[in-house]
Formats: sequence, structure tokens, C-alpha cells
Amino acid sequence: MSADTKPTLNAPHGQLRTTRRRLLAGAGAVAAAAAVAPLAVACQQQPTSKKSGPAKVVVMTDSHEFGDDDRKLLQDTTKIEIELVEADLTRLYAMYAAGNPPDIFRVQAAGIPQYISRRMLKDLQPYFANSKVLKIDDLAPANNFYKSDGKKVGTGDLYGMVKDWSPDFTLYAYKKPFAEAGVTVPSDSQPLTYDELAALAKKVNKKQGGKRTYWGFVHSNNDQWIDRTAMNMLAEKNQSLYSADFSKLVIAANPETLKVVRYLFDLAKDDVHQNPLDPSPNWMGADFNEGQIAILQYGFWYSAMAESDKTKGNVVFLPAPTWSGVRRDPTMTATGWVISSQTKDPDAAWAVFEQYMGGKPAQDRAKSGWGVPGLKSMYPLMPQETPFQKQVQKVLQAELKQSEFTLAFNPYIGEETFATSWKKHLEPALKGSISFDKFVANIEADINTAIADGKRIAGNN
Amino acid sequence: MSAAARPIAGSSVRAVAWRRRSARRALTFYAFLSPWLVGFALLTALPLAVALLMSFTDYDGFNLDRVGFVGLENYTRALADPDAQHALQRTLILMVTVVPIGVGVQLALALLLDQRLRFSGLLRTIFYLPHVIPVVGGAWVWKLFTDPNGGLLNAIIGIFSPDTYIRWLVEYPTVVLSVFVIWAAAGGGMVIFLAGLQGIPAEYREAAMIDGASPWQVTRFVTLPLLSPVIFFQVVVGVIATLQILQQPILLTPGITGISPGTVPPRDNYVFVGHAYNAIFVNHLFGYGAALLWILFALVLLLTLVLFRTSGRWVFYGVQQ
Amino acid sequence: MRKYGVVLALAAIFSLPVVWVLITSIKKQSEYAASPIVLFPAVPQWINYQLAVTMADFPKYATNSVFLSSAYTILVVITSALVGFGFARHRGPGRDRLFLLVIGTMMLPTLVLFVPQFVMFARLDLTNSYWPWILWGLAASPYHVFLFRQFFAAFPRELEDAAEVDGCGPLRVFLQIFIPNAGPALAASAIFAFLWVWGDYLYPILLLNDQNTTLAVKLAKAYVDPRGNPLQTITMAGIVLYVLPLVALFFAAQRYIVRGVVTTGLKG
Repeated sequence: MSADTKPTLNAPHGQLRTTRRRLLAGAGAVAAAAAVAPLAVACQQQPTSKKSGPAKVVVMTDSHEFGDDDRKLLQDTTKIEIELVEADLTRLYAMYAAGNPPDIFRVQAAGIPQYISRRMLKDLQPYFANSKVLKIDDLAPANNFYKSDGKKVGTGDLYGMVKDWSPDFTLYAYKKPFAEAGVTVPSDSQPLTYDELAALAKKVNKKQGGKRTYWGFVHSNNDQWIDRTAMNMLAEKNQSLYSADFSKLVIAANPETLKVVRYLFDLAKDDVHQNPLDPSPNWMGADFNEGQIAILQYGFWYSAMAESDKTKGNVVFLPAPTWSGVRRDPTMTATGWVISSQTKDPDAAWAVFEQYMGGKPAQDRAKSGWGVPGLKSMYPLMPQETPFQKQVQKVLQAELKQSEFTLAFNPYIGEETFATSWKKHLEPALKGSISFDKFVANIEADINTAIADGKRIAGNN
Repeated sequence: MSAAARPIAGSSVRAVAWRRRSARRALTFYAFLSPWLVGFALLTALPLAVALLMSFTDYDGFNLDRVGFVGLENYTRALADPDAQHALQRTLILMVTVVPIGVGVQLALALLLDQRLRFSGLLRTIFYLPHVIPVVGGAWVWKLFTDPNGGLLNAIIGIFSPDTYIRWLVEYPTVVLSVFVIWAAAGGGMVIFLAGLQGIPAEYREAAMIDGASPWQVTRFVTLPLLSPVIFFQVVVGVIATLQILQQPILLTPGITGISPGTVPPRDNYVFVGHAYNAIFVNHLFGYGAALLWILFALVLLLTLVLFRTSGRWVFYGVQQ
Repeated sequence: MRKYGVVLALAAIFSLPVVWVLITSIKKQSEYAASPIVLFPAVPQWINYQLAVTMADFPKYATNSVFLSSAYTILVVITSALVGFGFARHRGPGRDRLFLLVIGTMMLPTLVLFVPQFVMFARLDLTNSYWPWILWGLAASPYHVFLFRQFFAAFPRELEDAAEVDGCGPLRVFLQIFIPNAGPALAASAIFAFLWVWGDYLYPILLLNDQNTTLAVKLAKAYVDPRGNPLQTITMAGIVLYVLPLVALFFAAQRYIVRGVVTTGLKG
């Protein structure tokens, strides 16, 4: 049936003297048809078996990262036909539901534990062990996000690899707001504490007649990654948002967690961070380019674009701030590729994967400065030409020493679950229609329900 | 009815011939219907059955081979879900504002354009234009128009009160959503009402005028009653469409260009189908999401029935035959 | 003159947002959110249109959209006309019930079918192809069936009696008597079908791949600078180009549509 989106126009009104009883009969008929049809479900086809002929690999990824030219190049080198499907979570889940997932797909750190716990990913350890291109010793620490021993990420077999990565908690300062506020730009050798950062943010924050001039401190990719930021702050004290077995989100009952959540909430409440009452129509990288953000928290990868026509010469790269004095600056995105456990041609999928991660495409990525390469042997390829790039490299080298840490995300919920709940309850909380305590309680209720659902599903599998 | 209704008198030969003829007629009927019959069975009934089954399971969307039946649990859960209640409330509020105002606007436009006007084709196209703009484009139009910085709306208000800086999509999200929906549907309804007006015999109105009725009285006591079946139809269609809104609130969320799970519209624009969409694609509760949607279907049905039941009081079918 | 005042004021209100899109589409990116607001660009940036075409690979994806929309339209108009004709002019057991089933399906939330339909198409290996639309076209659409049924029901009975006396079969009656007189309904149906596919976003992103997807999907992501920052002015140019064919189509068929609705609508 076609889902005509605009029903008002073409439906004529004549003969609509349909009575209530007839209408009910019609609806009953729909229900009856629905009840009979299950008989036919039993004869659904099995997924089509592997076709003979040249191998074909379906890759689901972001077309900005991996466009048609990249596809053709990779296709020519591997001699494997590649079909590109735009990254879209709805589509990915629907493809899994159909038992026909893409052979390779793009993931980020926070989603990996869930995919592994549901046995959606192929264990690539044997392939890595035999690979001449992707040697296990050569893997950058961010790849630990793709390791799992079946219970926890960080150690164990490899299930994928980062396409590139960055220590993600570094800061970018735009000098102009600092000059206007008469505040000195922080040093690029001494990390700030988060408290100092909040105080600084209030000073450089600027609004005029309700209009935004500068945001003080913007983080977490417009709150989409808010749980990742909180997790990293808590990691300094060996704490987490979740109980040790991930069975519960604990905020109110854990003073350490509550403090972190309060801190992040206050940034929004003090209006120094983008929030539902004063949102930006853009992603925060664009706002920084427009010169509207004083301090931005993004990984090294953003250095490739931090300098726009507007901000050129006025950007300083700063080390990651610290919450309690223990420095931690891992990646929180670990964007990369995995291979589906249901792939029909794992060897072909691996060939494409291997070439993308270790071949010419990987070298090109390393040279572009869009993140730290996934292989340590490619680190020297990162660009160091402009003064800004040199300053960035100086800070980066120090940060790399703090980046060997894996954030353990909850395997029972999806990567969007926490942020969705946070954003949902933040708006009423900022408006004052619910208290901070209620805000926390609502998120706990949402996430704990989701965890319970996820646990039940994981138990099913 | 001709075949069946005739008295089956006379010889049995004639009866057999009749039966044969009506069998052939039935066959012709089903032959014409066959595309839809086959299509409905395969493309609607079958997926619908799967959706119905799904609503009684804990299916997570990943593995079809391990699905557990949970009985009515998803339905009882929906009744206790505070987000579902909030979303339902917002959706109903949207419905009771958008449907009457929307139908009113459509009717007003049709009455205005039914007069003898110059450039009526052009005017018709202007009012109809929003209806042709696909929803993704329409959302862009309204985001741009209401943008606090580059938007024309603030600029216009700024003429009367300088330094106006209203974040429309934050402070009045439901207003913008309602206006967007009304704007987009107005042209379509207008055309239907225009058609309705052209079907009203001119003598009725002329007679009333001769009797000394004012134009307003003619409209109120002649035109509107005669148009009531059309109004009724537009209300029914409007109710069905508004309750099922999904894309518009997502697309009007600041910072969003496409539709993807995890988008959180302003709390006031958190609609029921959006909640189901999140249940399915963010929380992987395919069964629960399906249950929510079946509840919505039941509600649509119920409201439509209520409308039909109450329609006798104000819908006037007098002219027809 | 008073009536013109009201109509023109309303027309202005209705078209203002669209006019603003047109103006924005020829602004410079720096004029887009400038403060104070830039009402008219200093120099119209017609190049935005050129960029909109090249950045989104317009020729390729517009071709996809045209092909897919036309294929669906042709099929669904033919099948729906047949089914609508069956409902209007022929009898068989269960006719009224079946017709109510047609109306009942129109009340279903689309999302309910979304996942099961995808599962079905994927299992039949029909994703990343245009087959789902072909099948939808072959299956007739409830809305269009409704439209044609109402339209054909209004035809006088004598028309077909005369034809039957002349020995015409039911299909020939349909093709030679009814179809030639169904211009407005055919036009209206065709335009709505075309509009649906052209404007749809959810199904193409779910069912097609990067190469064969439609313009609607491509436009949502195409207009960003190399840094990934949105280029709103070019986006607006893209939207204008995207909507233009639909407006042209409507303008050309406008009278037909109104007449189509008149004839189908009122004769109860």
C-alpha cells in the first residue's frame, strides 16, 4: 500500500454517508485479514543464499566520509564490487530485522558494546592475526574500544577497527572573546580543571539583547555525546554512570556521579553551553567556525577545520581539562568499521576492510589531518606545516600519553538512549517546570527501564 | 442488484442461465479488483499481520529466531507509560487546534476565491503551492522564516518593535508546527471546498438574495449547510492525518536536517507516533512500538466513529437526490 | 475592492515564507544570518543554483526521481482506475465490505507497516531496487481507488448499456467508454501519485542505496562545505529546483485537478 502523505486533497467526499456500523465492519475486516495472514508468514523465504559470480560487499557508511570516488577506488584495488548505503540507524536496524544486514558498517564507541553483546559483529581476531597489513602490535590504543572478552570492552578479541581517532576531550579556544573580556587565554601546557573551565566560560560568555555573541563552553556535540563526557569525567575516579554489572544507572545515590551530572546541568542552566532553550541551528563545529564559541571541546580531528576565514590565526589548541587531577584523554567516538556476524562473504568483506584500514585510503586519511591514524606506524604522516598545525602537534603528543584508556559503555542500551533521555528532560528542567532532582529521577527511570529491556533481550540471544 | 432481486420465477432453465450470468458478473468484478486484492493480501495484510504479531512479543529487531511472546504486556505498559501519555496529550491538543482552524482556513479561502476575481488561476496556485512542497522542503521553509537571526518573521515584527529576538522554534514550537501543518494543507482543502461550492446550484443562493438575505446570511444559512458534508469529510480526514503526524515535529527541531532516531523535538512537540518511532529505533522495542501504533489505530477508529455518530446533528444531506 | 484586499493580504501571508526562500537562495552565505538582517542580497548570487545542481549531482538523482515517480505513477493510475471501475460499475459478493476495507486501510498509521514491509522486501532481495515501488504500483492504492470509484460511479448507466448492446466486453467498455471520459480523474490521480514518490523521504532512505536513491534523500545531505558546515543559501536554491517541477506540473494541470475533484466530489 502506498502511504500517501497528503490525504486531504484527492479524497473526494461524495458517497461518504457511510454509517458507523459499516465503518466498524471495514475496520473489522482489516483486523480479520491481519489475523488470517500469519498462516502465510510461515512460508517466508529464507535470506537469499550467496550468489555465484564476483563477490559483492555492502558497506553502510557516511557518504561525506566515504563517497562515490572512494568507493570506486576501493573497488578497483580490491576487485570486489562495493555497494554503498548511506549510514542511517533506522535502516541498519531494519536490515538486521530482515536478517540482511550490511557486510560492513560504520559504528562509534558507545554503540559497540551493545552490538557485541547481541552477537551482531564478527570476531575478527583470526583475520587480524594473519594480516600482513593490519598488525596487532601496530594498532593504536583507540582500537581497544573494539576489543571484547564477551563481558566487557577493552580487552579480548578484536571486532573492528577505528578509521582514525582522536583524544577527544581537548579544547579549542578562540582568542577574540578572551581579548574582549580581558581574560588571558589558558596555557597550552597546563590542563585546566573543569571547575576553572566553568568559571572561565562564564567570563567569556556573551549575549546581547537575548542574542548570542559567544558561547562560553560548548561540549558533547550538542549533548548527543553527553554520556560519553560524563563517563570520562567519572573515569578519573574509577567511577561510572552505571553499576559495575551495568544493570543500573546510578546518579542520585552516588555522590560522585551526581556531582558530574550537576556540573553538566549547570553549564546548560547558566546558559554558557548550547541548550534546548537557546539551541543552535548548526552543529557546534560550524558555530566555532563562525566565531561564536569561546571554548569548544572536540578531539584532534577538528583541528583540520578549526581555522576558518573568520577564526584563522586566532585558535589555540588546549589539553583536555581534568575533573579531579587524574588526566584521562581517550577517544569517545572511535569511529570505525565492523563486519556483521551475518555476512555471507566474510573474506571479501575483510579484503575491503583491510584495504580501507591499512591501504592507500588510510594513508590519505592520515595525511589529511582528520584524526590520528588507527595504525601507530602511520602517525608520522600527520601534517605539521602551518603554525597552528605545529602547535596542535605539540599538545597532541602530550595528550596521546593520556589516551590509553577505554571507556566502558553500557552493553544493554543503544548509543542514543542516554542522550535522548537527557535532552528530553533537560528542557522542562531548564524551564523550571521540574526540579533538578526530578530531572535526575526521570533519566534514571528511562534508562533503567531501557536497561531492563536490553538485559531481557540480551538474555534471549 | 438487478439479477438477485428479480423474482426467480419461471423455468429452471432460466434460473440456471441467471445463475451463470451472475457468476460471470462476479468473475468480471473480481477480475477488475484483482490488482488490489492480490496487492492488499501481499503488501498490506501480510505485513499488517506481522505487525500485529510483533505487538505481542519482545522482538528487538535483531534476531527473528529468538522472539518471546509476552501476551498483552506491551499494551498494559503503554497505558502506564508517562511519555506515551504526554505524547498523546500533545497530539490531541494539536488535533483540536489544527483541525478546526485548518478546515476554517480552507473554507474561508474557498469562499473568497469562489467570487468572480481576476487572476483567480494565479491566486489559486499561490494558495495551493504550499501543498505541493514536500514535507522536508516545507520544514526548511518554516525554519528559515522563523529563524531568530536570518528569519523574515522577526524582521517584520522588528518594524513595530525594534530588537525583537524571538526563538520561535523554542518558545512557541507548537504554534510554528500548527501553522506549518495548516499552511501545507490549506490549498488541498481549498480545492475540495471550491469543488463543493461549484456543485451548489446557483438558484439556492439567488433565491435567498431575492428574499433579502445579506451575503453573510446567505453563507451562514444556505451555503454552509449545503457544504456540511464536505466540511464533515475534511474534518474526518484532518483528524486522521493530525493524529498520525511524525515527520513535521522532527524536522522542525533546531539543528536537524533529516529524520533520524535520537532527535528530540521540543517537549511540546513530542507527538505520539514520534514516541513509537523512538521506542522502535532508539530503544529497539519493536514489539512495544507496534503496540503503541495499534493503540493509535484504535483511537483513530474510535474518533472517526464518534464523528460519524454525531454528524447527524449538523451534517445536512438534503440536496442530494 | 474590499474583497481584493482580503484575498491579496491572505495571498501575501501564504507566500511570504516561500518568497523568503527565493530571496535567500540568491544571497551570499555571509548575508544569510547577518545582523542586522539583509532583506535583499547586494548582488544576486545566481551561482547558488549552479552549485546546487553540481553539488547534489542533480542530473543523476533527478533522473532517478523522475524515473521512479513516473514508473509508479503510470502503474498506480492504471491499476487504480481498473479497481475503481470494478467497484463502481460491477457487482460481486462482498463488494461493500471490500470497499470498506479500502477505506479502512487509509486509516492505518504508515509506521505500523514500515518495519514488516522492509523485512519482507529484504527477504525477497528487493531492497536497493525500484521493485517495491513497482509492486506498490501494480497493487493499486486505496486513495486512488477511492478517487476513481467516486468518479466512475457518477457516469450515467445508459452509457454502458448501449455499449453492451453493441457487444462490447467489460474491458472494452472500460477502455473505450470510460477512460476517454476520465481525463480529469486521470490527471488528478497521476499528479498525486507523482507527488507522493517525488516528495517521499522515509521509504527511499529505507529501501534504496547511495547510487539509486532519490533527490529528496540526496538534498538532505548534499549542501555542506568541505568542513561539513551547512550551506543554507545553496540548500534553498536546491529546494527551489526540487519543488519547481511540481509547481509547473500543478500549474499545467490545475484546471483538470479542480474539475477532477468537482466531478468526483459532488455527485454522491
